[in-house]
Amino acid sequence: MFKRILIANRGEIALRVIRACRELGIETVAIFSEADRDAPYLELADEAICVGSARAADSYLRIDRVISAAEIGNVQAIHPGYGFLSENAHFAEVCRSCDIVFIGPTPEAMQRLGDKNSARTLAREAGVPTVPGSDGLVSSEQDAVRIAREIGFPVLLKATAGGGGKGMRVAANDLSLASAWQQASAEAQAAFGNPGIYIERYVERPRHVEIQILGDQHGNVVHLWERDCSTQRRHQKLIEESPSPRLPQATREAMAAAAVRLAKVAGYHSAGTVEFIVDQSDNFYFIEVNARIQVEHPVSEMVTGIDLVKSQIRVAAGEQLDLRQEAIVPRGHAIECRINAEDPAANFRPNPGRIERIIAPGGFGVRWDSHATAGYVVPPHYDSLVGKLIVHQPTRRQAIDTMIRALKELRVTGIRTTVPLHLEVLANTAFHEAQVDTTFVERMLAG
Amino acid sequence: MCAAQQSGDVFDPKKVRRLIELMQEHDLSELDLEQGDSRVRIRRGGQVVTVAQPAAAAPRAAAPEAAPAAAKADADAGMVIIKSPMVGTFYRASGPDASPFIKVGDRIGPDKTVCIIEAMKVFNEIPAGVSGQVVAILVENGAPIEFGQPLVKVDPAG
Repeated sequence: MFKRILIANRGEIALRVIRACRELGIETVAIFSEADRDAPYLELADEAICVGSARAADSYLRIDRVISAAEIGNVQAIHPGYGFLSENAHFAEVCRSCDIVFIGPTPEAMQRLGDKNSARTLAREAGVPTVPGSDGLVSSEQDAVRIAREIGFPVLLKATAGGGGKGMRVAANDLSLASAWQQASAEAQAAFGNPGIYIERYVERPRHVEIQILGDQHGNVVHLWERDCSTQRRHQKLIEESPSPRLPQATREAMAAAAVRLAKVAGYHSAGTVEFIVDQSDNFYFIEVNARIQVEHPVSEMVTGIDLVKSQIRVAAGEQLDLRQEAIVPRGHAIECRINAEDPAANFRPNPGRIERIIAPGGFGVRWDSHATAGYVVPPHYDSLVGKLIVHQPTRRQAIDTMIRALKELRVTGIRTTVPLHLEVLANTAFHEAQVDTTFVERMLAG
Repeated sequence: MCAAQQSGDVFDPKKVRRLIELMQEHDLSELDLEQGDSRVRIRRGGQVVTVAQPAAAAPRAAAPEAAPAAAKADADAGMVIIKSPMVGTFYRASGPDASPFIKVGDRIGPDKTVCIIEAMKVFNEIPAGVSGQVVAILVENGAPIEFGQPLVKVDPAG
């Protein structure tokens, strides 16, 4: 087992990893940018090292400085969290060549699955259903039109290097396809440095259902069942839950088995998430793999009772997974709300600033994962996540009631948060009846 | 600083914390209170004083640090601090038997190498970036360095 780990991240996930390490008796080295100098969780680490000025590109994304910090911090491993360098195969490669264990998949597995287009190819190899689409990247506008006519409109253009909903456009016909193609390409180039676009049939009103997988370095892969993340706004997840309501058991089992097959074919180990969309007839299609721990991992932890971050650390240290698939039985219902520093009354404009007061909710079945404290200044340079509120109860109805109670108990003054939006969703009949797809929030907001 | 624990007296941690909050709210730099023969004087230094958790520690942490920070600011007036542009290990000389690049009292120019910072087996020479007289070397040989860490104090007027 490692004696010391460096956490190459910040905010709530850095705190999450520090907590897991403390319980495992592992020392921690935290890194921070000048904007995070006063972050409260830093004092929980054994050492904290400044790696640059505020901009992520000058600090958390600086591979050279992160590695130097790992060297002077005398660590055996690095946990990359999510975002930043967590899906950077080059970084994982550098760790390996510096004899530092990267807590995540191998660079090769990451590359195989991280490139959206190559992941689709692997999926087909593994007998995992994919959305009808282009066989590779689209080479030109004419190519796009030809493919779109073959698979049928409406189509979705997606960036192969993409994430976070960027570089995506829907086109309903030939005419709108040309401009959609140009826009998607340009956005992809700007956001990811790679203009490559592939095309899929656009599934109307899909549900977003993902499978949590966990593999060790001995070829064992298990799944921790699904999370339904259909409640999104502009492709950003707002609320996640498990189990996926109204998903037939046979579909759930088929998806989970498909996810495990894909992980094995790709030689994947550590934690990962296989994302699918599910259409109105409960057909499921593979979308992409997130080769890292995800923001919403607590949802799966609550229903399965398995600590995913500790599991990541253990498998990275070479341990064999002590889990049999038959023993991973979900219990009850868990929901997570992502509380962001955004103003719902001002079109979700980011609202960084100083938190004057914060009262965290608690009680039976309530979990609050947050690095925020009174006096904490939410910096403008990174994501706007203030905290994750997770509840776990025996039934979905009870989980919704507890989440409403907990959201009302949560008090954050000094900045605006998305709490009002969450309350609106949770009061909505369509949400109660689990008639939610990825267009739901935008339709609700449009009134 | 917060010696007495009885509430109702100026050294009550709760009251001191409230005073610090008031100072921040109203952007006061100094507060001087007398009550009988007890006196509390709090000065905010050049640094931002964050009222961080845990609440009980805040008064102890904020008030004593405010005074040294203010004192330090006076001593550093006019000085230039050469800060580390990287993360690594600090060396005063190019090798264990070589003489240090600089010592206190030396007059240096902006291109003068003041130290080496080693990172990932690469030895990087760090230039002064400023002219003046070396007043102090702030780091020990072989010490780990973080980004922005003060390395050398230079008097530009020296």
